Amino acid sequence: MFARRREPWTDRQASWRLGAVASLVLLTIVLMVGFVAVRAWPTLQANGWVSWLGSGGSVDRQLGDMIKTGQDPPTAAYHLRAWPLIYGTILTTAVSVLVGLAFSLFSAIFIVEFAPARVRAVVVPAVRLLAAVPSVIYGLIGILVLAPFVGNHLISPGRKDSVQNVVQLDGTGVLVAIVVLTVMITPIMIAIVVDALRAIPPAWTEGASALGANRWEAIWTVSVRAARPAIVAAAVLACARALGEAVALSMVSGSRGFSPNPVDGITYIFEPIRPLAASMVENVDAINAPAVKSSIYAFALLLLLSSLVLSIGGYVAKLPMRRQGLRV
Amino acid sequence: MAATIEAPAPVAPAPHQRPAPRGDRLSSWKWSHRLAFLTCWACGIALCAVTLAIVVYMGVRGIQYLNPELLFTRPTPGLQQHTTGGILDPIMGTVILTIIGIAIAVPLAVTSAVWLVEYGKPAPLARAVESGIEVVAGTPDIVIAIFGLAIFQLPILAPLSFTASGGGVFGRSFLAAGAMMSLIALPMVFGATREGLMSIPTHVREASWALGKTRICTIRTILLPQVRANVATGAALGMGRIVGDTAVVVVLLGATLQLEPQGDVPILGNLRGTGSTLTSYVYGASPAGEGNAPQKAYAAAFVLLLIVLTLNFAVDYLGRRKETR
Amino acid sequence: MTRSRRLIAALAALGVLAVAAPAGASAASTITISGATGSAPLVALLAKKYVKLKPGKVKFKLAQGGGEVGIQDAAAGRVTIGNAARDPRASDPAGLVFYPIAKDFFCFDTHPSNPLPNLTLAQAQAIWTGQVRNWEDVPGATATGTIDLIGRTAASSLPPLVQQLLLGNKTISDLAALKPSDGLVEQSVASDKNAIGFNSGYYASQKDVHAVSFNGVACNLQNAKSGQYPGVRNYYEVTRGKAQGAASAFIHWIQKSPVARKIIASIAIPLDS
Repeated sequence: MFARRREPWTDRQASWRLGAVASLVLLTIVLMVGFVAVRAWPTLQANGWVSWLGSGGSVDRQLGDMIKTGQDPPTAAYHLRAWPLIYGTILTTAVSVLVGLAFSLFSAIFIVEFAPARVRAVVVPAVRLLAAVPSVIYGLIGILVLAPFVGNHLISPGRKDSVQNVVQLDGTGVLVAIVVLTVMITPIMIAIVVDALRAIPPAWTEGASALGANRWEAIWTVSVRAARPAIVAAAVLACARALGEAVALSMVSGSRGFSPNPVDGITYIFEPIRPLAASMVENVDAINAPAVKSSIYAFALLLLLSSLVLSIGGYVAKLPMRRQGLRV
Repeated sequence: MAATIEAPAPVAPAPHQRPAPRGDRLSSWKWSHRLAFLTCWACGIALCAVTLAIVVYMGVRGIQYLNPELLFTRPTPGLQQHTTGGILDPIMGTVILTIIGIAIAVPLAVTSAVWLVEYGKPAPLARAVESGIEVVAGTPDIVIAIFGLAIFQLPILAPLSFTASGGGVFGRSFLAAGAMMSLIALPMVFGATREGLMSIPTHVREASWALGKTRICTIRTILLPQVRANVATGAALGMGRIVGDTAVVVVLLGATLQLEPQGDVPILGNLRGTGSTLTSYVYGASPAGEGNAPQKAYAAAFVLLLIVLTLNFAVDYLGRRKETR
Repeated sequence: MTRSRRLIAALAALGVLAVAAPAGASAASTITISGATGSAPLVALLAKKYVKLKPGKVKFKLAQGGGEVGIQDAAAGRVTIGNAARDPRASDPAGLVFYPIAKDFFCFDTHPSNPLPNLTLAQAQAIWTGQVRNWEDVPGATATGTIDLIGRTAASSLPPLVQQLLLGNKTISDLAALKPSDGLVEQSVASDKNAIGFNSGYYASQKDVHAVSFNGVACNLQNAKSGQYPGVRNYYEVTRGKAQGAASAFIHWIQKSPVARKIIASIAIPLDS
């Protein structure tokens, strides 16, 4: 009976069998997006499709009231204005990725071009080590070392008093969140960019040197330009990681759904925020209250959509490079 | 014949021994280039400094409180630090979860990558699979965790955790968390396998087909063995992500400190049961959670770091082996 | 045997094991408990003692996850008993029965360098509603500058209890930072000289923070037991409908047995004191 089993697969059979497994994976992913969308529906419906992204009132109080409404909440209980959380997410992600990208680019150039062999032997394992540290540890270092330092030494009492009736500055906030997030996403970017820079044929940079470019010019105008697809890929990956970072940020970002006000000047960077992923992790305990459940799934939908937009954005950013003949 | 001693022919000094050409010396660069050079050095040194600071901090705190007894005692819930036991179960939990996650992820990812690279018809399906896996790669782990919570509490998946006496499906177990962890590791293995397959030149495949082998036979006998190292690298990367993940564990593993098997079947019982991992232990015992065992949290964090470092060295080793072949 | 036959034989054996094992399982009933992390150590100790007293009859599975998770799990029938650290609310699912088993107390905490000796009800209200924003305006405080209010997220059971029992039903100001865990509140208060927070009494005993007396009554176990200190919360075991079978026996043992009372008295406050 099993003799027939042992016949080799034909190509057509193999194609659809393997394709079935790949489709299974795709199905799971589609199922995930579908589930999240369906469960987010009550919040979207009760608040209007986009007004829940706006601002209005304290989002902390709104979430807190949802927890108290129990199993059969009226439509008014789903009221949500999540702008402070979205603003916090965009702020931390954008600034960390930009700062991290610049830092990674220069570090990668350092590793590939300028570092003496002995220094390189130290820096490369250092990058791998940083990429390997779990996020809980970054969060711990943030609240045990960085936040007290910022709170006690960088925030003057006068500054705290000046905003005391609007917000409290206790060290955790935008600055510590951005620093922790940057340190978390930089190693990934460095690893990708270093790999890409190393893959450039040396003949290209040697050609540039032969034409009179110095080392910096050669690497900047030739290697970095050729490695642009990898830099875009690194930025997209880091952005995705930054958007999804929940645990470390819930510890260091200030624990208040507040929209920092740029008009405040330097105080702006000390004000507390709370990104979307951190809000999700903090409220997941209460997920069985229907209003909280659909709010959390609405945040999840937003994060999923943004990762979709990111990958489309990366693809679009690489299109002109593809036309220039770079292997994307 | 008189032997003539000839002076040895002058040999040009090796590249790294020659003095730097005049154009390459810093003094001849524009100020903006000099600034860029200094920035590169500053970034490199900052990188080392930050890593050193993190390693020293975690190392000092961790080694201080790590003793072998901690590694072999089981944890218990307790208010005082000295009553909370050791970290044996979290370590076992991390290992079990990683094995489940990788065991599910690798076959699925390799199959999908092989299908995508070697077959890939119909083309819209192939693009959809590729985009889908990219979306998963970019999805936050908390979203994957709540998706897992939603589906594993459905009655149809009850055998994967357990049904309590009240009739509700508990929905949190090693199998549930492991299945979601495989989603997290999948993109890494997929990407690495795909890179490996694409880097095999076409003439290898064509030679095999010319000898009369079918496509699937070529894949099985020639291509897959060659991408073994890539698969291993992808698996190690995926394992690193699984080991370091907290959100999925906190939501889907049942939040029991010790490994609690469900039912009496030896292995299946543990898989359907609940437990904890090093990440959830650090999260719970450190100031992020109850904070009542901070010293043990550092010790556990240190062990976690060691495990992740070992995995990284494994990736390195496998990668280097591939290069030397 | 061919490879596929061996594989099928192995799977069949595993399947037989999986099916046969429950049939041959012992007659012990399993009580699954999930819920509040605050009462988890207490329930763990009680469960351990109970298993020793009645060997072979009962097995326990203790999970944590938070008070809300415990209540919802019990309501959905996912666990036998849920650990709750708050009083029942009108918004809870119908049909839940809350059995009180013990009490715990909570204090206002300040940084050790700011050993505030006492807070009256009026002072506490003024501070926590955001009316008073400077330590200079609080009598007895040695800190100067803005008061940093450290609260807990709404998912915790503490804020409503603090508002009800220590703040005369006034609401905590929006200015407060809402930390997601007890450990983070302790860490924030212990590292910020201007902070004031509230936390379970256990943390005050750890000397990282200073516990503030309320209305002249020191916040400690003794005063909580005697009833003089008002900041007390109940630990409940929650079941769907009245507890039955092994769960009922366990809960009644906790509430009635002197052995259980001794265990409770060692780390919390027994009910009848």
